[in-house]
Order: sequence, then C-alpha cells, then structure tokens
Amino acid sequence: MPSEDTKERISKVIEIGRTVLHYGYIPLIIYIGYTRSNPQPSLIKLISPLA
Amino acid sequence: MAAPTIPLHEKDALVNPYAPEPTVTSSYFNPVSPFFNAYDRFARWRADLGLPQPGTVENLQKEVKGTHLSNYIFDGARADLTKSLSMSPLFQVTHSFALGSQTLPASYNFGAIFANSSVFLQGSVDHEGSMNARFNNGWNANNVTKAQAQLSSNIDQSMIQLEHDYQGSDFSANIKAINPSPRDLTGIYVGSYLQSLTKNLAVGVETLYQRPTPNQGETSTSYLAKLTGSERNWTATAQLQPSGVLTATYWQKLSEKVEVAADVQVLAAPQRRDAIATLGAKYDFRVATFRAQVDSTGKVSALLEQRFVPAFAFLVAGEIDHFKNSAKVGVGVMIESSSLTPEEMGMMPPP
Repeated sequence: MPSEDTKERISKVIEIGRTVLHYGYIPLIIYIGYTRSNPQPSLIKLISPLA
Repeated sequence: MAAPTIPLHEKDALVNPYAPEPTVTSSYFNPVSPFFNAYDRFARWRADLGLPQPGTVENLQKEVKGTHLSNYIFDGARADLTKSLSMSPLFQVTHSFALGSQTLPASYNFGAIFANSSVFLQGSVDHEGSMNARFNNGWNANNVTKAQAQLSSNIDQSMIQLEHDYQGSDFSANIKAINPSPRDLTGIYVGSYLQSLTKNLAVGVETLYQRPTPNQGETSTSYLAKLTGSERNWTATAQLQPSGVLTATYWQKLSEKVEVAADVQVLAAPQRRDAIATLGAKYDFRVATFRAQVDSTGKVSALLEQRFVPAFAFLVAGEIDHFKNSAKVGVGVMIESSSLTPEEMGMMPPP
C-alpha cells in the first residue's frame, strides 16, 4: 500500500494529466492532421466552418 | 517369391507419416518439449477445424444497432458541416449545430478526426467546454488498444476508459478498465471472451468487477451466444445478465437493399417484470437511406436520409408515441465540403 505522501502525489499527477488532456487533445489532433495531411491545407480552411 | 524385401520395421518408418520426428537438436527446451509438442498438436487440431472469427463482444449487436434508428434519431433542427482536408491519412473537422430540441439545449460542437492505417484519433468539444476524446492504436492485425475519455469542468461527469482487444483466429478477448484509479485501484473492470464453437455458433462470457471503494468489490457475469447463418446473411444473439435481463436480437439481410432487425428485452427481476420488443427495417437506395421502426411501447418512428449530391444530405426524422400522445420531428442537413478535387487528392496544392 503506498504511503499517504505518494497518494497525494499520484492525485496531483492525475489532476495535471486530466487538464493537459482536456485542453491539449484537440490542438494535438489538429497539429498532427495539419502536419501530416497531403496536401497540406491552409489554416483558415481548417478553422472556419464556411471557407 | 523370394523378392528382396525391406525389413518390416524400416519400411514402416519410411511410409508412416505419423512417425514422430526425430529430435536431433539438443536444446534447453528438451525437458519440456513434450508439453510444446502437445500444444503444437492441439493448435494444429484447432486450426483444422477452420472455425471463423466470431467478432467482438462489443459488436455482438452491431448489425441490429445499424438497422434500428434509435442511435440515429434526433429532434429539432441540426446541421453538420464536415470538412475533409486530407484523404490519406484521413483528416477532417466537423462543426455541428443543434437547436430546437425538446430534450436537449441548443449546442455547438467542434470535432476533429485523424486516422491512418494504424492510429485513430478523434476529439470533440462543445460550447460549454466539455470534451470527448477517443484514441485507438492497432499494434498489429490482432491487437488493438483503445482509450476513451469524457472530460468536463465538473469532475463528477468525467470518465476515462482504457481497453485492449485481442482477436485470435477463432476467438476474441477484451479487457476494459473504466475510471481506474492508480491510487487505490477503485474503478470498474470488465473482461470478456467470445469463442466460436462451430461454424455458426459462438458463445462467450463477460465479467464485470465493480470496486467503488477500496474495501468493497462485486462481480457479475453475463453469458452471450451468437448464431450466424452459413451465408452470413442473418444473425441471432442472446445475452443473459445476472440481474435478470435477457436481450435477444435477430437480424436478417433480405436483399442487397433491405435489412430487418428485431430486438426483445425481457426484465425478469423479482420486483419488476417488463419486456420491450422493437422491430425495424432499413432500406438502402441509391441516393437515400430509409429506416422505420415500431416498438411495443407504442412508438412509431422513421428517418429518411436523402443525399441530393454526394456532398449534401437532407435528413427528416419523426416519431409518434401513441401511448403518451406525443410527437417529435427533426430536420437536418449534412454538408460535406472538401478542399480537394478528386484529381487533387494525391497531388500538391495549387500555389
């Protein structure tokens, strides 16, 4: 059984991980898609619903 | 008569295909090789049966769910604008708008999908900031790891699910952890296994282990069976849960364009007995898909998806609840725009 101190640290790491995933996942998909796409799209087409 | 004959035991050794192969290599495995041989023989015998892959437990009722419109129906107005930015690898972004629904508030949703042959990434976020994420990674043809998360500012509504799928030649196995906490190992854990017994029949079990607090654990096992027609044009499935819920489904492809599906759910708990039956049909036309469904709670519903041009689809959905005397209507458009022309798909963009 891990000590209270370790548990505290695990909780903090999970909390940070959750925040990173929450705000970073979609930008990550867009970055990966933008760099790996063939042909590479223009940024305005990527974000705007109408362009 | 005195023809020269080979001594009997030598002749046997020449023609007998079942004679054990002489072990010539000396290896560290020699002491355990009988076990290896037995395993090899068992594996060969199993391969000889030629049993088909039964599909996964998760997809047990996939055909029925694809035929029934419960997963597709909506009310109010909605618009989905999908933009494909690349075909290979697949990269697309979606803007969805919905409003005027009786049950859900108006919403805006932005989604992005990236997929290549082994990785699938999908994320969507709505105007309130809650996020849905999905990640699949195929290690090889048999192993797929999946992760799913739902995150919102409210921690109680957040959920994460980690999953691993293994598909053998005649079985499939899956382990799943929902909200696992490395702190005290609480969470929900699910293991499932589906095995083909004959060319048509597959049976399986699914065990759910719930551990809401560190000193509390509960297991429940449900049993599954799947019967498939020899021509793969019909399937019947049954699932029995320990709480007394029996779900039975039947799906049949009547022709290239018509599929029908039936679903019966029986709840036979000591306190409550209940049953719901649903019958649905799906017609696939050249430019349209039509689904109709009727169930024993008095609901009649239909959904038409009309594709005027490949990039523009118009949806009409309707549902009448005869017992409650209520109705729902939905209209929607799906617009798919691609920044690529067909010729451009594999070429460089114009300057």
